[in-house]
Amino acid sequence: MIRNLQFYQGTGTNPYDNLALEAYFLQHCPPETCILYLWQNRRTVVIGKNQNAWKECNVDLLEQEGGFLARRPSGGGAVFHDLGNLNFTFIAPLPDYNIDRQLEVVCRAVGRLGVNAQKTGRNDITVDGRKFSGNAFQTSKGIGCHHGTLLLDADMAQMARYLNVSAEKLQAKGVSSVKSRVVNLRTLCPSATVGTLSLALLNAFEETYGLAAQRMDSKRFDWEEIRRISVTFASWQWRLGREIPFSYELEERFPWGNIQLRFCVTNGKVSEVQAYSDAMDAGFIEKIPVFLQDLPFSLSGFADALTPLAQTPQYATMVTDLQMLLRHTPQQAQGGESE
Amino acid sequence: MNAPKELLYAKSHEWVKKLDDGSVLIGLSDKAQSDLGDLVFVNLPAVGDSFAAEDTMCDVESVKAVSDVYAPVGGTVSAVNESLIDAPEAINKDPYGAWLVKLTDVSGLENLLDADAYIAVCGEE
Repeated sequence: MIRNLQFYQGTGTNPYDNLALEAYFLQHCPPETCILYLWQNRRTVVIGKNQNAWKECNVDLLEQEGGFLARRPSGGGAVFHDLGNLNFTFIAPLPDYNIDRQLEVVCRAVGRLGVNAQKTGRNDITVDGRKFSGNAFQTSKGIGCHHGTLLLDADMAQMARYLNVSAEKLQAKGVSSVKSRVVNLRTLCPSATVGTLSLALLNAFEETYGLAAQRMDSKRFDWEEIRRISVTFASWQWRLGREIPFSYELEERFPWGNIQLRFCVTNGKVSEVQAYSDAMDAGFIEKIPVFLQDLPFSLSGFADALTPLAQTPQYATMVTDLQMLLRHTPQQAQGGESE
Repeated sequence: MNAPKELLYAKSHEWVKKLDDGSVLIGLSDKAQSDLGDLVFVNLPAVGDSFAAEDTMCDVESVKAVSDVYAPVGGTVSAVNESLIDAPEAINKDPYGAWLVKLTDVSGLENLLDADAYIAVCGEE
């Protein structure tokens, strides 16, 4: 039975630090306690534990524009976070971890803002069939963690640009995202702010459990340990270097011929490159794999790596064409968040 | 609920099948797969990894949830069921056929439950 409620509102907006704090709370959750942690990430795509980053997210574009790619330890699909989004996390030991009750806190909180939300499907919260909250879950060492997004005033255009990828070119194992119709709470409740929503969540938390929440004192956290966890979340190995192999194909017709590139990627690095072309200059095509073998998977990185191939004016034209192909930004698609 | 008599069980809902050579196969019980829902991904340990009983051995993902799978006994991984990487749903369809790992140097079998005791434990949950 839950006898203590604890509450913490994060202050930083770095996704790796925020995920690290969540993991720290999970590892140190006292018995009979439910923790509510509220946090915000600045411009971040967060993918599920078992997802392929490149299949779910335009990684190059996101990073070029100063955004973060983060992988969380829970399941589910890709979501976009910015400062128009508020994240909540519930952490409790398994006997007291109750997803229905935790979702009730969220429904009550938005209810206080005048939004009539329903629990639908399996652990979704919607209003008139549209989603403003994507939820995901993790249980580890006897502790449950349930977290979710709350779209308040998120930049839907950015969301679409980062999350819409022409994924048919990428063949991978792993969990795929499901696109949903999404809505910002601000459009339903124009006066809602991160502050009013946070307060509504805290009040609904206390009301649902019938207890007063104690504010956690950040001076008592082990910041050394939190920093260590953050380094792991920020590492290339955790975010992109997962062992799940995948392949990626590109094909294009240029004035000098048709070209098809196929990359096999293992542990996030190119393990094999196949280049096929009907171009007259077979020597050029044969050299391409040599320059791309063993590189970390990044189309813009591949483009840069081809520059030394431009040894003659004719090769320079072909290299420039290939670099344009590799750096090509997927077209902006209509639609919303996937989760 | 379905819990074959010839298997042993842990309270954390793994089953254990003793093989003639002293090694064991480990999988998730029918109750575990039913509580978890549709499985979409399995992260298996590496051959050669060693575990004490109750250690986290691997994890599975179902309906947006990643859940730890605990080692019901101690031992060293001698094989993993790689077919589950392509077909995690086999655990839902055939929980007692879809083994996850094979352990050798097994310890702690005496702490496991027989089918009747396991069914009784599940009834108390």
